[in-house]
Amino acid sequence: MITCEEFFAEFADYLENQVSPEVRQELELHLSQCRACHVLYDSTRKTVKIVSESDSFELPQKVFDPIIDRVMAKLRTDPS
Amino acid sequence: MAVRRADSVGMSFGGEARLEQEYDPFVVFREAFGFIPNLLRAQTALPRVIAAHAKLEEAVCLRDGAIPRIHKERVLLCIAADRRDDYWVALDTELLTSFGVPEGQIDNLLNDYEHADLLAPDLALLEFCLKLSRDSSSVGPEYVEALRAQGFGDEAIVEAVVLAALAVYRCTLSVALRPEPDFKPRNLPAKILRGAGEAVPPTLATDTRRKAKRKGPYVPAPYLSPNTFKPFAIVQKSHGFIPNFFRAQTLRPDLLQAELEAVGSILLPEDVLTRVQKEAILLAVSAANLNSYCVAVHCNMLRGLGLSAEEADQIAVDYRLSNLSKADVALLDFVVKLGTRFSEYSPEDAAKLASFAFTREQILESTVVTALNNFANTLQMGLGIEPDFEPPSIFEKKKVNPSGAATTLMPRQGVVHLVETSQDADAELVAQAQCGKLEAFEELVRRHTQLIYRALIAILGNVADAQDTMQDTPLRAFKHIGGFQGRSKFSTWLVSIARNAALQRLRDRRNTESLDKNETEEDCGFRPRQIAAWQENPEESHSRTEIGQLVEKGLLQLPAKYRVIVMVRDIEQLSTEEVARLLGLTVPAVKTRLLRGRLMLREWLSPHLAASSKGAAQ
Repeated sequence: MITCEEFFAEFADYLENQVSPEVRQELELHLSQCRACHVLYDSTRKTVKIVSESDSFELPQKVFDPIIDRVMAKLRTDPS
Repeated sequence: MAVRRADSVGMSFGGEARLEQEYDPFVVFREAFGFIPNLLRAQTALPRVIAAHAKLEEAVCLRDGAIPRIHKERVLLCIAADRRDDYWVALDTELLTSFGVPEGQIDNLLNDYEHADLLAPDLALLEFCLKLSRDSSSVGPEYVEALRAQGFGDEAIVEAVVLAALAVYRCTLSVALRPEPDFKPRNLPAKILRGAGEAVPPTLATDTRRKAKRKGPYVPAPYLSPNTFKPFAIVQKSHGFIPNFFRAQTLRPDLLQAELEAVGSILLPEDVLTRVQKEAILLAVSAANLNSYCVAVHCNMLRGLGLSAEEADQIAVDYRLSNLSKADVALLDFVVKLGTRFSEYSPEDAAKLASFAFTREQILESTVVTALNNFANTLQMGLGIEPDFEPPSIFEKKKVNPSGAATTLMPRQGVVHLVETSQDADAELVAQAQCGKLEAFEELVRRHTQLIYRALIAILGNVADAQDTMQDTPLRAFKHIGGFQGRSKFSTWLVSIARNAALQRLRDRRNTESLDKNETEEDCGFRPRQIAAWQENPEESHSRTEIGQLVEKGLLQLPAKYRVIVMVRDIEQLSTEEVARLLGLTVPAVKTRLLRGRLMLREWLSPHLAASSKGAAQ
């Protein structure tokens, strides 16, 4: 079985689903037998999921409307 | 046997730097062949390239491996004859004779190998290697299946592919170096071999071939650890990752090791050609060979060496329309002709290159890099190695019918726009805005407000500064929209303007946290500390708002260079390649920073979302 260090070397590609079937098999065998790596994988996967679904830093319309209005007003008076 | 001095025909690359007979790579050849081939002597101006060649010959050809030596020599002879390479035909004939192969059988091989009394597996091996050496881009999995049907195992298949690649390497060298033959040349018949280009594997019916159409790689590749296989540790360090090209050959660590040593000797030193010149050679010749895998790799390498994505893509699509110097265009003309239209090559081509002030060593090295490129292109196609990165989409579009591989790749009329604007959903509005239509511009800005805002936060690290800078990006964009040529998507261009506006603000405030700093050892060695398991479904025990606030706080405490990448990749969902283009980083650098950023965010979130902390969000 591969070591934790070897697992970590492949971790970025595994998260992105970019490993070959052979490597995937090795990594999943390791995950099934190593609690620390399993926790790392599970929590990192969840991190990516909640960040992707968070819509963080959405600028509310009431903030961005006046900004765009000011920009357009400026361009209409001085398009250069 | 008397060994004559190298090369009195073409441009001489040997001579002055005479190497001792005991020079290690020469010893390899003397022991294996009984003499030192003139082709090797013709490279003495650069001893390290002889060492590279010796490594390849020793690993691929001189050892028995999974295919007996005599079978390999037969393949090498036929490929040399197919390419009408008198030098290698003479040498391989002599070797086969010394192994006891009767003269009559060698004649039959050269005249009509189908009737040379070969056993079915030997014939299959020969046809496979010939096809691969002649037209690698048309070799699909069905050809590999034809070998399997004749009893070849996976290790032998890898060896056959590398053997064909070595034959191409050898012949590319001999075309340019024109060494004096070591033995009396044979008279090759006018038509030597039947058209392997048209040949289909004889053992497979049409429907089987269709069924065999699947993605590569064509042989399994067991996991090989950088801890136990040191060459991988070196690649990991120099490239930041291990390309699939090498991973696909893990069944044969012996061949891999030799290839990696050869690559190291040929590509890494910068004492003759620069690394950028070598990568440009690899890119231009791979593009002319229609090899998407290698095009993607070398575009990415050139970006890592400081070229813009557009400059690298332009070399792939048509280097003559790039902004390279006339001398570098001449260099690429030379290597593309040598690498893809070898029958048209003449010594005047080297002389022409010399007229651009290239030295003898530089011309020799460009020849060897071209040979190495053709080795890699052949090997990649033969094993069906899957891409590490997306090739430039414009290159994929411009790929012509593979049967035209030996002709000019790109149409020459006009300037090539690297990304066609019709692909971009904003194209029509952009065209209107470029004509001064303000309503169109306003619509574009509204479409991308959130994208601009997040890019600003990602770099500036706080909401107030981002809102203050929000006006600058559309104002700058309008000012410069006339110069937008559609080389990237409009949204990407807009983000690059936001990025510059944010960086300017940081500079104004003398906040010098760099986005471009390279990874340090410490960065690469980052290891997570939080080891508590997380809740099964954090979304169930925390409201969406709570999680949103946690993520925002966590992102704001990341260093900017990681925050930028996590935000554009995971929130804006740009692909890794797009992020690399946007930030002017290599794909491996983006991958490294993305993982580091995600792990740092995970560390920060862990105390809030661990199984033991239900409802603890703040």
